[in-house]
Amino acid sequence: MGRMSFVFQRLALLVPTAIGVTIITFFMVHLIPGDPAVTVLGQHANPSTVALLHHQWGLDKPLAEQYWLFIDRLVHGDLGQSLYYTVPVWGLITGRLPATLWLLCYAAVIAIVISVPLAVLAASRKDAVRDHVVRVVPLLGLGLPAFWFGLILQTWLGTKLRLFPVTGYGQGFIGHVHTMFLPSLTVAIALCPVLIRSLRASMLNVLGADFITTARAKGVPAPRLLVRHVLRNAVIPAVTVLGINIGYLIGGTLIVEQVFAVPGIGSLMISGILQRDFSVVQGVALVFGVLVVLVNLLTDVAYAALDPRVRFGR
Amino acid sequence: MALSIGCAIVALAGCGSGGTSSAGGSAGTSNNSASAGTPVKGGDLVFANPQDAKSLDQANVFDNNSIWIIEQITQPLFIVTANGKGVQPLLATSYTISKDGKTYTIKLRQGVKFSTGAPMTSADVKFTLEQTMAASAGWGYIDAAIKSVDAPDPDTVVLNLKYAWAPMLADLALFANGIVPNNYGGKSHDAFYQAPVGTGPFKWDYWHKGSALKLVKNTDYWEPGKPYLNSVTWTYVPNDNTRELQVKSGQAQIDQYPSWSTVSALKTTPGVTLSLFPSTETTYLGFNENVKPFQDVHVRRAISYAIDRTALVKAVLFGNGQPANSIFPPQVPFYDSSSGGLQYNPTQAKAELAKSSVPHGFTTTLQVPSGNSDYSTISTIIQSELKPLGINVQVQQVDANVAHNNVQAEKYDMAFSIWTMDIPDPDELATFALDPKAGSKSFFTSYNNPAVVKAVHDAELTTVSSARQTDYNTAQSLSAQDAFLAFLYYSPYQYVEASNVHGFNVTPLGNYHMEDVWLSSS
Repeated sequence: MGRMSFVFQRLALLVPTAIGVTIITFFMVHLIPGDPAVTVLGQHANPSTVALLHHQWGLDKPLAEQYWLFIDRLVHGDLGQSLYYTVPVWGLITGRLPATLWLLCYAAVIAIVISVPLAVLAASRKDAVRDHVVRVVPLLGLGLPAFWFGLILQTWLGTKLRLFPVTGYGQGFIGHVHTMFLPSLTVAIALCPVLIRSLRASMLNVLGADFITTARAKGVPAPRLLVRHVLRNAVIPAVTVLGINIGYLIGGTLIVEQVFAVPGIGSLMISGILQRDFSVVQGVALVFGVLVVLVNLLTDVAYAALDPRVRFGR
Repeated sequence: MALSIGCAIVALAGCGSGGTSSAGGSAGTSNNSASAGTPVKGGDLVFANPQDAKSLDQANVFDNNSIWIIEQITQPLFIVTANGKGVQPLLATSYTISKDGKTYTIKLRQGVKFSTGAPMTSADVKFTLEQTMAASAGWGYIDAAIKSVDAPDPDTVVLNLKYAWAPMLADLALFANGIVPNNYGGKSHDAFYQAPVGTGPFKWDYWHKGSALKLVKNTDYWEPGKPYLNSVTWTYVPNDNTRELQVKSGQAQIDQYPSWSTVSALKTTPGVTLSLFPSTETTYLGFNENVKPFQDVHVRRAISYAIDRTALVKAVLFGNGQPANSIFPPQVPFYDSSSGGLQYNPTQAKAELAKSSVPHGFTTTLQVPSGNSDYSTISTIIQSELKPLGINVQVQQVDANVAHNNVQAEKYDMAFSIWTMDIPDPDELATFALDPKAGSKSFFTSYNNPAVVKAVHDAELTTVSSARQTDYNTAQSLSAQDAFLAFLYYSPYQYVEASNVHGFNVTPLGNYHMEDVWLSSS
């Protein structure tokens, strides 16, 4: 199968995935007790005003009909109106998607920048002290809760040393790079341990291969050997690990965005839940679902680009 | 408005009504010692707020964070004084009231312009009041006494009332009566409130919903030399720690509502000032009188006596509040400190229960909105304090919205409520809390004492201050003896400011005047 048809086939898979996401989020959101009309009107709202809003929003219709209306609008490219802010959900999401994408990409870059040298360091001498240190210390990253680690970074690098802004998104490219460093690092730290371990393991695997022995025998210098021959071959499984984990971390941005007041769709989701803003929660969940699928697709494509032996197929 | 039942979201200020036209302190004038020094012009101030605004449609919005922003854009004819107990002219300069109390003739301030540069005239005032009067799902009821508004000349407005109404000027001081341009300056209602225009010190810049709302200096503002700041931005930062760090690091200048647990540490933190502003916020425990045995006054009194309010203040507010002793908080006019609100007295509690229909105790429930740590703390304390009486309290954690619905439907035994005021007059609080026929069935307890109801309504119809005081004293003392609510505690408003912020003051109603605020260079 050609590369393009593979991509199209995977994109087509988006449709059932998205439908699944809409069904789950639609009904789960409605399982949460609470009433968006009361949230909007305040605790003192009188029942007739609440009923009027329910009618305006279509919340007095049967759930199945509400779902059908939601899908109908969705097909026409309309995610509906935010119940809380009474503006289109799509506008709220597009205004905030860049911050989340920045966070994810920046975190991936930081994770790679941290992981690759450490994995090379560890793999270059198996079972040496540096190998053990590299294998054990980053594991802390897995155990550190993002809200706590983020707070530590904010307190030390933000308020005490004033090296980075403690919150926000920044303005312009340099502003984003500067301001988003701490939240991205927080996300990256959780990503590093798995990345380092998988990279190290596959490097050790490659190091034992015959072609490496041949390269060594031909007198290829050690640094060149590690980077050109070992790393390129070892990176393939690591890309898969990175892809899967980024999908997983998309969910993690909810907390990180909250802690660092990043105006992304993760914090939009949280406020949507707190405000019982059903349409916002559904819209964001859908975008998250699509993002995860896209990241997986990119991973597969990258996999093939790195390893010409990989062929697209079922 | 003010009643937030079973929910810590304070929000809503109540509406009072009332008062006479006496001016009190100087509204909007800073009395903050930190404001000493000559104000400096310029600077951009950022608020870190735990809640976002909802809407800027002033006649239809009930949440405080929206209201306090609207108040920087539009201004009413009268304004609440700094002590929160009276009103004084703002866009008005003077007024006369006819002998029968049914006609108010108000002179408007000269030289006031909207931020568009257009002058404000009586046509704008007439239009504004008529819009608010028509807001039946919003604040229309606050102007219910007004029959019609006339604009005989550009500088004069005449209000014709349906009946003499003591709280009229206080009602006019409500943000919902802030003056907007006639016919919304040619826009539709909805389009206007996307970027509202007023005569206030700041004007619209942008609102990125869910993250930040920014206003910039209104260069046409009528008060000479004000405002000092170039802009004010309200950012929405739900996380307590994040807000605190923003102020400490200089990214924000004011943190609204730091967590009470951090207040004592913040008092000694260099670079920031912790301010506790007296408020009208009162927390109550309500008894549903439709449920046995709460019809029995002795049961209610026994519970009220059994609660150690000082312990609650210590546990919830870390000592930064005071036990409540009246349905009214001290910052409300006509508050009577000797009205006899029941206080902690275990002996009396036992004696009252012995006189009741359930002398050996009973089992009941206390509804608590889930996720609210303050209410969880209070309920645990109350549970343990009622146990020695033989009253077995089961704490029911319920979703906040469900808790609200249950209270409104009077499907509960005991539940918490909170009230804050918007207007410097006790009328609205008194009506909602004490008259079962008013909108909220005596705070949804169905409490009904005809003598109290009569006193509340008598106080509306006279403008004689001493007569109103007598009526409100009656209402306060009778309701205290009836113990239809256990008055728990009064809490202040807590704010953290960067130490270069000057002139920031919060009235007991929660409003603040950003035109008085300035930033020093250090």
